[in-house]
Amino acid sequence: MNSIQYWKNRLPFLLTNLVCMAALTVFLMACGNSVSAVVLILTVWTLILLSGLTFTYWKRKRQMKKLLAMAEQLSERYLISEVMELPEQAEDQVYYQLLKMAGKSMLEQIGEVERERLEYKEYIEQWIHEIKTPITAMKLLCENHRTAWTKELLLELEKTNRFTEQALYYARSEHTEKDYSVREIALSQVVHQAIADNKYMLLQSGVHLEVAEIQDMVYSDEKWVRFILNQLISNAVKYRKENPIFHIYACRQQNQIILVVEDNGIGIAASDLSRVFEKGFTGQNGRLIHQSTGIGLYLCKRLCEKLGIGITVKSSEQGTAVFLSFHINCLIQEVQN
Amino acid sequence: MKEKIMIIEDNPLIRNELKTLLKSNSYEIAAPEDFSGVIDRVKADHPHLILLDIKLPGTSGFSLCSQIRTFSQVPIIFVTSCTTDMDELNSIMLGGDAFITKPYNTAILLAKIASLLKKAYPAQQREQIVYGDAVLHLESSSLDYNGQRVELTKNELKILYYLFRNGGKICSRGDMIEYLWDNQLYVDDNALSVNINRIREKLTGIGLRDFIKTKHRQGYTI
Repeated sequence: MNSIQYWKNRLPFLLTNLVCMAALTVFLMACGNSVSAVVLILTVWTLILLSGLTFTYWKRKRQMKKLLAMAEQLSERYLISEVMELPEQAEDQVYYQLLKMAGKSMLEQIGEVERERLEYKEYIEQWIHEIKTPITAMKLLCENHRTAWTKELLLELEKTNRFTEQALYYARSEHTEKDYSVREIALSQVVHQAIADNKYMLLQSGVHLEVAEIQDMVYSDEKWVRFILNQLISNAVKYRKENPIFHIYACRQQNQIILVVEDNGIGIAASDLSRVFEKGFTGQNGRLIHQSTGIGLYLCKRLCEKLGIGITVKSSEQGTAVFLSFHINCLIQEVQN
Repeated sequence: MKEKIMIIEDNPLIRNELKTLLKSNSYEIAAPEDFSGVIDRVKADHPHLILLDIKLPGTSGFSLCSQIRTFSQVPIIFVTSCTTDMDELNSIMLGGDAFITKPYNTAILLAKIASLLKKAYPAQQREQIVYGDAVLHLESSSLDYNGQRVELTKNELKILYYLFRNGGKICSRGDMIEYLWDNQLYVDDNALSVNINRIREKLTGIGLRDFIKTKHRQGYTI
């Protein structure tokens, strides 16, 4: 509470008192009272007035301090009207009412927006499930009736599927808590599935693929890890040089298993490296290759954060390596042994 | 003996294409088009494996699965476009053996089918395949010809298996590479040539000359 402003607001009241004092002095003098008696009366008046005012000031100040502290502690400050007591002062009560009304209408707005967002997310998910039926049908048609151009078509279908998956995971990354199930998965299986998802793209771009024998088991969500790998593989293809070579392997480091996806592509400029996980960031490579969206790595980072997987990138002109580090849960292993 | 697979899927195009795919992989197919009497069909047909869609008109794959489980332990693969974890969990809780999401990779689907069949009916697997006088042993990864035997590497076995299975037909290099990729052997064009040459050398070693023929600009055949 601003004290200068407080006392300024008290000015009319003080002036009224001064006027009253003046009137009383005139009256008392007219009645023939001695000057000393008048001075005494006025002194007592002033003392009572000042102590009363100081007390109210101190009380108000404490009250306001308490309110501010209360708001400070709340994580959602707009709920302050729900936790504060009903004030005693008539004007304060009006402000209290206003605060309640404003809070309520805002909560309604937020609820509305949240519901709309949830509905939209559900619609997107449903749409993606529905679009998958025709994609499946087309894929089967192509694979059963191979001709010269089915491979091209399968390549396009692979892309279509990758984009729909990206939309699905984008919609899901907002409310992930309920959408993943962590269980023991064989890393090699996820890697092979991710490669299978991108088979036509890899074959068409003439990638020489070296996949090491991976024995490790990790605790994670298979679908999500597969999606992340899909993004990394498609990035590696997008930013390839001539004679592309991809190397996928895993290694153990203390209590982590690190899965590495390495390519010999055009690499990422050192100045861009720290920002590659930002949403919409495309950097120098984005200006070279116009398919960059700035969504893929952003989503990878987000999903990794939710799953507790570490993701880091190293890059030079000789290529890029992305490291996914999975924690080995010592407790689970101890229990199993 | 051919294994019988039942496809329970409401989309007619996918149903037919699945039929074609599985038939060409030498399975026998039953594909009911009316889903109200599907349980009776399962009882009557005794399929070796069931491919089950989750979303079906008038019923759901989950309820069908739990009904089937009351009288049979036949392997069931759920095939669906729903990818929520609740669905996956449900399918496992109700006794499904595998869960594949659309759009499925046909190689993965076929591999799952094969491995489930192998687990459920261990005795019925063919372990060798014959073409002319040559016998390819899948389990021991070797080839017999006139009483002589030669050992094969993983790549060589898969290449020969593909050629044997298409016995006589011309196999293009592209299709062969794709088949190897489906089997998690990521060879490129050069590596394929190297492998083919090595197989030829090995086969010549046991007196089997010019077994793999090159068709110019088309591919290989046996």
